[in-house]
Amino acid sequence: MEEVKNNSGQNLGIAALITAVITFVLAVIPCVGLIAIIPGIIAIVLATVGLSQASRGNSPRGVMLAGLIIAIIASMISFSQIFVAGKIVNKADKWPLNIQNIVNDVQDNVNKDIEDAKVSIKVESNGAKVEINTSSDKKDQEKKLEDLEGGNTPKKDTIQKHDSTQKHVIIRKKK
Amino acid sequence: MIVLRNMLLSGRRNKTGHNIKAGFRKEPYLIINIFFAGVILLIFAYSGFFSPEKNNYPVVCIHEKLTGQPCVSCGLSHSFSLIVRGRVEEAYQWNHYGMRIFLFFAAQLLLRITFSIFYIKYHDVRRKLIIVDCIGSGIIFLAAFWPFISNIFTGIFYTAS
Repeated sequence: MEEVKNNSGQNLGIAALITAVITFVLAVIPCVGLIAIIPGIIAIVLATVGLSQASRGNSPRGVMLAGLIIAIIASMISFSQIFVAGKIVNKADKWPLNIQNIVNDVQDNVNKDIEDAKVSIKVESNGAKVEINTSSDKKDQEKKLEDLEGGNTPKKDTIQKHDSTQKHVIIRKKK
Repeated sequence: MIVLRNMLLSGRRNKTGHNIKAGFRKEPYLIINIFFAGVILLIFAYSGFFSPEKNNYPVVCIHEKLTGQPCVSCGLSHSFSLIVRGRVEEAYQWNHYGMRIFLFFAAQLLLRITFSIFYIKYHDVRRKLIIVDCIGSGIIFLAAFWPFISNIFTGIFYTAS
């Protein structure tokens, strides 16, 4: 005798599958992934009710099972997004202090680098070569200061005015 | 259209001789296809209705609201609206992945229509058609949404470590 199959629970299964697929698409989009758990739960409930009806009515269960599996995976993805967002929020509370520490560290490093910096500028153009070496080394500066204080300074106490335009003229002439 | 309607509503016999009414009500695949096509059309209508200049989109980024950081899918609505209006260059600026997601939805709309027609026309290959549709759509989905999926995994590993 042939088994009689009816369509009980089939409509619920279709609704569950549609909801599950929409949930899946929403769940992988981070902007709306957090709220995708709501349609996910709805899809799971629909699929479960549909499955129970189908088992009673001896009707095909493929659509409901597909809906249930997709809904569970989608809900898990959505839940993971909630978990990740929660963790980020927790970590974000500690960020201001960490950022302040990082800024202080960078500032200290830059200051240290500047203290020990040795600068060398080389300009080459058509055979003409100009090289300027300078040092901002703290020890060198201290030595210079001592020299100045010790009377090794040139007798001229006026600062010679450096004519920058003259330099340009010379370079141009060389070109 | 009338031919299609008659095909769907008329009684048909399959291989085993059972009289099956190939209408919409007894064909879950067709119902699902029509529903998805409707959803995709709604997405396009949403993109066309809301203007990127007015910035009056009702959907806000919940991730940004919670964490204060923009997520990888931020600017997707803007991007869609600009693509619908033919401003592809600007759409790339709003969201780098907007175009591929838009193409996924456009491809899905075409596939829903095409597969539905094939489903109605060729009764013998219905099962194969559904399998091909599921696998094909899955691959296209992964290709389109991979940056978002990888972002989820990155987030999980980042928070776990």
